[in-house]
Amino acid sequence: MPPLQFAPFSTLVSPAFWHKLTDLKIDVLKLSDDALPLTGSYTAGKGITDRETGAEVVLPTGFSVGGHSFELAEAQRVGVVTAVGSFKNFNTVEEFKALDKTRYFDEEAAKIWHSIHTTRSTTDLTRFFLITFADLKKYKYFYWFGFPAFVSKPNWEITEAGWQPISSVLDVGQLDTISTHLRAQPTTPAFFLIKKAGDAVSVGRVEDYEESLTKTPPQHLIAFTDPSSSPTHPGWPLRNLLAYLRALHPAASSRVRVVRWRDADYTETGKEQASGDPTPPKPGAVGWERNTQGKLGARVADLGPMMDPERLAAQAV
Amino acid sequence: MQAIQSHFVGLREYLAPVLKESKFKEHGRITPEEFVAAGDFLVYKFPVWGWEKGDDSKVRDFLPREKQYLVTRGVPCLRRAQSLAYTDADEDAERLVSFGDGPSSGGDGDEWVETHAGRKATANPASDASALADIPDDDDDDISRGVGNMSLGGHGTGEQAVDTPDLDDIPDMEEDDLEEEDTATAVKPKQGGSGAGASGSNQPDPSRSNLLQVRTYDVMITYDKYYQTPRVWLIGYDENGKPLTPQQIFQDISADHAQKTVTIEPFIHSASLQAASVHPCKHSSVMKKVIERMNNSVVAEQLARDAKSGSVSPSAATAAKEKKKWFSRKASGSSKEAAAAAAAAENDEEPEGMRVDFYLVVFLKFIASIVPTIEVDSTTSF
Repeated sequence: MPPLQFAPFSTLVSPAFWHKLTDLKIDVLKLSDDALPLTGSYTAGKGITDRETGAEVVLPTGFSVGGHSFELAEAQRVGVVTAVGSFKNFNTVEEFKALDKTRYFDEEAAKIWHSIHTTRSTTDLTRFFLITFADLKKYKYFYWFGFPAFVSKPNWEITEAGWQPISSVLDVGQLDTISTHLRAQPTTPAFFLIKKAGDAVSVGRVEDYEESLTKTPPQHLIAFTDPSSSPTHPGWPLRNLLAYLRALHPAASSRVRVVRWRDADYTETGKEQASGDPTPPKPGAVGWERNTQGKLGARVADLGPMMDPERLAAQAV
Repeated sequence: MQAIQSHFVGLREYLAPVLKESKFKEHGRITPEEFVAAGDFLVYKFPVWGWEKGDDSKVRDFLPREKQYLVTRGVPCLRRAQSLAYTDADEDAERLVSFGDGPSSGGDGDEWVETHAGRKATANPASDASALADIPDDDDDDISRGVGNMSLGGHGTGEQAVDTPDLDDIPDMEEDDLEEEDTATAVKPKQGGSGAGASGSNQPDPSRSNLLQVRTYDVMITYDKYYQTPRVWLIGYDENGKPLTPQQIFQDISADHAQKTVTIEPFIHSASLQAASVHPCKHSSVMKKVIERMNNSVVAEQLARDAKSGSVSPSAATAAKEKKKWFSRKASGSSKEAAAAAAAAENDEEPEGMRVDFYLVVFLKFIASIVPTIEVDSTTSF
């Protein structure tokens, strides 16, 4: 069976975020480099049809932070999933470089692992971090995101048939019920459970996984809001969700049925299997965002053209 | 200079009285209340749009606190506007509203968007060249990496910095030993190189699709109190999520408008943000024309509906066809709008014509002609 591969996040930092960081750095943080909480968000993956060729174009699996990201109560919108992470700004580029990144990453990953076992809540599964160095004089911002995800050994595999259209499992009426339920929520859940009892479906919490399993018949589907629009690769959040199930319900998660919740049209389902041993007590984690060359490295946002008064004046003639 | 001008415009807008009386059919302008109503309708119909409250210091008191402006994020932009070969006639925004005599082979799509934004790029060498000229931006990365060290330590705002593509990454900061190779991570498709390849399912296409550079835009719609119309703002990102420079944004704006009606200005709901904005000075006159046409056909539709009793929509569509054939295609193609108009007609014996709720939906179609490759118009099925 082919191994299951996950589409990593590709981050989108709105200029408003850098403006906010600039203000924060000057007025509040000053020389402090303490970690701050930060919210980011993603939406269900969008594909788009190229009007010229008719081809389906897959857009990157976006994860964005914006001007409101430093306020914890970010405005909620339908279809937007928020994730909480930590933010750390360094005063000099040397400190930024000198950070023991392996250790920092492991600490962040350990927080997720810890919350899986203590709170048994899924809210921390999408936890991320961002480290930055802001060169305020040159309007340059060095930044590096990390999305720690636990490595499953052996890999999760997907059944030979691959991802199937949702219509093979749920009919239109049932999908309607789910979608109505989700839209009525104040926030769009990152993960949820679709419980089937005969023809009726209901939406539950992943935290109730075991309970729904013991009911007869055990007709549950694990669903997650999928930021990936790739037909073959599910988005990054699924990775920690599977790790979560494996860690808390080792007996009931050797085989999982997953629904990738996107547009009603795009929803698909598939089965995965992890064969063999249960996961080791604390699996390793990966998830540094790669830079534009595909290497592990920080990125730079050069806001000079949009922030530098001189250059703005130059193009405004 | 520009700062002075911005302040002047800001002051002028501050002093302008809030429009109270609905004038949208007479001259295409709307009141703040109508802006909110049209915005609510847009958000309801197309949930990709949402209201934002903006910066606390920039609240405009004639709009509800929580509904200061509309925003949609991550709007894809597959290729540059230059790569669409327009004839002179097509470039004219006025062409947009003359949907009646556009090519009528559009089928169930919406002609005035299809004919312009979705025009097949002709394979003439000139347009090829302009499309090709785009690529180096992307492939220059090696070079920029090469010079990265230099420009990092040195000048920030010099002339050269304007010309040099921004370096993406810190060259001496790659730490490839940071984590081991992970087979469960999907290899990130090379963005920009080939959109077709990114989807994994399409074989490389020798045509233009190889040149896809998928940018994304955040699009904001604010209410301009002086011109009494909505106003569009754009913030763009390249395929790597890097903010676009003004020059790059102008590549996505049809040649007629770039740097003339579209300029980079301080975004009015933020203390510091700069965004590209379509200047609203001509909005009301264009909107007036579009609304007139739409209104006529909606009224015709309503009259036809009132005239017949109990018969089904084909008769109404035929009746409307004599008036305006574009609308009949719409009515037969997707009956949503006809149904909405019908609902309005049922409530009201007098034909009331187009409702102001539609204003922003129509407005977006107009904006789509200015930024033909940015898919702001999510309403084509409408």
